[in-house]
Amino acid sequence: MSADLHGSQRAVETLVSKLRRRQVVGSREAALETVLVLRQVVSKARFSNIDQLISLIRSVGKRLVEAQPKEHSVGNTVRKLLHHIREEYNTAMTGNASSSKTVYSISNFVLQGQPRKQNVAPKSEATLTLKENDPDDPDSFARVLKPVLMEAIQDVLDELETVYDNISKNAKDHIHSDEIILTIGHSKTVETFLKVAAHHRSFTVIVAETGPSYNGHEMARALSSAGISSFLVPDSSIYAIMSRVNKVIIGAHAILANGGMFAITGSLLAANAARVHSTPVVVCAGQFKLTPLWNLYHDFGALDFADPSSVLGFEEGNLVDKVDVLNPYYDYVGPELVDVFITNDGDHPPSSVYRLIKETYDDDDHEL
Amino acid sequence: MAPAPSLPIHPPNGPVNGDASKQPPQGRSSQKSMTKAERRELQEKQRAAKAAAKAGGPVNGAPSKQAAKPTPQATAAATPKRPTKSNEAPAPTASALRTQTAARARAASVSVPTPANARGLRIFSHFGLPKPVSVAKGDIHPTILRLALQFSEFKITGANARCIATLSAFKTVIQDYATPPNNTLSRHLMTYLSPQISHLVAARPMSVTMGNAIRQLKLEISGSDIDLPEQDAKDALCQKIDNYIRDRIIIADQVIEETAGNKIKDGDVILTYARSSVVQKVLLGAHAEGRQFSVIVVDSRPMLEGKRLLSVLASAGIQCTYILLPALGAIITEVTLVLVGAHSIHSNGAVYSRAGTALVAMMAKLHSVPVVVCCETYKYSETVQLDSFTKNELAPQGDLFSSFPSVKARDSLTLENDEHLEILNPLYDLTPPNCITAVVTEVGVIPPNSIGSIPVALGRLL
Repeated sequence: MSADLHGSQRAVETLVSKLRRRQVVGSREAALETVLVLRQVVSKARFSNIDQLISLIRSVGKRLVEAQPKEHSVGNTVRKLLHHIREEYNTAMTGNASSSKTVYSISNFVLQGQPRKQNVAPKSEATLTLKENDPDDPDSFARVLKPVLMEAIQDVLDELETVYDNISKNAKDHIHSDEIILTIGHSKTVETFLKVAAHHRSFTVIVAETGPSYNGHEMARALSSAGISSFLVPDSSIYAIMSRVNKVIIGAHAILANGGMFAITGSLLAANAARVHSTPVVVCAGQFKLTPLWNLYHDFGALDFADPSSVLGFEEGNLVDKVDVLNPYYDYVGPELVDVFITNDGDHPPSSVYRLIKETYDDDDHEL
Repeated sequence: MAPAPSLPIHPPNGPVNGDASKQPPQGRSSQKSMTKAERRELQEKQRAAKAAAKAGGPVNGAPSKQAAKPTPQATAAATPKRPTKSNEAPAPTASALRTQTAARARAASVSVPTPANARGLRIFSHFGLPKPVSVAKGDIHPTILRLALQFSEFKITGANARCIATLSAFKTVIQDYATPPNNTLSRHLMTYLSPQISHLVAARPMSVTMGNAIRQLKLEISGSDIDLPEQDAKDALCQKIDNYIRDRIIIADQVIEETAGNKIKDGDVILTYARSSVVQKVLLGAHAEGRQFSVIVVDSRPMLEGKRLLSVLASAGIQCTYILLPALGAIITEVTLVLVGAHSIHSNGAVYSRAGTALVAMMAKLHSVPVVVCCETYKYSETVQLDSFTKNELAPQGDLFSSFPSVKARDSLTLENDEHLEILNPLYDLTPPNCITAVVTEVGVIPPNSIGSIPVALGRLL
């Protein structure tokens, strides 16, 4: 049993070091790894009431978040898991209560949880007998609840794994024939979205190179190999071509509670140029990117800074110590610049993001 | 036959150095010499062009003209790849031409030219008009040949630099010119210069500065006294050229340097984009006067010219920061003044400048930072441009400027066109007048909507 505990602790430690060394690349990857680690933690955990479990998960979550505070999807996954766990627990408890009365009505389901989480309710039918803090059998609570929790965690995992498919479900409704779409950087979400739409529509994509990472090159290659006619342009011509662009579709790193978002640097230029030309800006992002944190942008450190040698390398020898070089990795794009967020849970305007966050996470978990 | 100063878009054409010997291989591939595949491909193209001409009216005017050429020039309606191939059509070797046509035949068989597919790429096809055939080598003065080579390889860049180089080359040409018998200098010199000018234009589209200068030169030539002995006439012309350079460029720059320098206060954070010779002079001049300010140099592909400006400013001792264009959003809140240069200014107040200037001006306006354009009056053009598509230039394909960071592996970058992929590197863009606060010229500081009064201010019609 202590070996089990060590096993899960070791998993946590491994993930913490990977996050700190930035060996986990991409918010979806980080979210997946977090879920796997937490699944291990929960399966090996010993608790006799719900608060113990929750504080255990919160402490693990806090460690993970502190390892890489800029990777918001880690914290989001922890919060989502906590939300699911609390919900399962509440359903189980009230399910027990209602089983003790003989009437078990549908209206209880409708009244107790959030409307969208209907799929969660049926799992904990009135067959569970939960007894917290049982002095005779301290493990009974955990034993009974764990299968239900495992299913909840599996739900979260499934949702993460099908993120791209769900976002692309309505792709063909968002893109019309002969449209010219501008995108920047290399977002897998946007790539899948466009590829799915290409099955039904023919359109053109202009990809901006997005220095200094130049991820746009991979995106252009990926799209053109899927048969979508693409143009690769440098960032300097974003304003120049914007008059011809019908839609700007970009990905996000994290969606903040005010409806703004962090996205790869260059998104702010594209979004502003689009606003000037009255071109709609569409953001494709998974729900795991919803962060219950408000505008952190006032802190310059909210932007991740990357290696300056991609901007001005050592081959410029004599300039290196005379000149300051800045290489921020993210841009903050305000809610007024985005027209719609397409998530695996549907399309939302930035003004209703706060409601999504209220439904997805619990208020207690905003600060882990 | 004088070339028009503002030309439609020409594609880049690096290796062509006016070497006429390279032209015949294309002319030679008439129907007889083409292989069966090429002939079939040409027929398909013509058929598609006819179909597209029926479908899409006047848009195909230019592409069908291309199809009429003997060389396998592409029609945009056929395969997506073709407009690009017409850019690269004057390939130096016949073998390259063969592989090109083989690739195109492959592409023709692989991708079905649906009208919808073709339309998306046709929108940009005017960026890829074929270059005019250049004149025979013998008529071109060696100075002009060398200058054209320097232009086509982007060794001389910048509106002022190109204009000064052109005028200096013309001085040499004029000095070497001998009026043929039964001709007057004032009439014949123009016809002698025209092919030289076309040759320069074939290397790289003419800048507005070159156009204005050449127009002025023609005026001077036609106005030169018939009775003057030839050498005196030539000397007078060279003197006029020197005066033009001195008055409209050198002295104008000095006036601008002083005027704009007065706008710089101690503690300013000045942002500039790419490399403008005028802005460089302004910053160096203000620094020499002892003002304390720091400079943020914003740079971007394809040319990454800002690095040169950065090294000049840093060696002068000015405190500099260097960022790439996408990072602008993070830093714009710190900026107090934006100084940019221009390629040309238009009568509606729009500024045609290096690609990316429009983004800088837009961000500055959103954060209420004044945008000051430093521009000599000889860059004024009467045309009104509405967007960056009317007139633009594409940089040559490939990594001509070594502008990718050396830390990035070359094979992760896409440097070549593909079946469904085309690489466009526009070099210029148009900044609308509402983003500009003021234009500093040698006749004064002018708000953008009064740019049209520059000719009046100069006291003559440009």
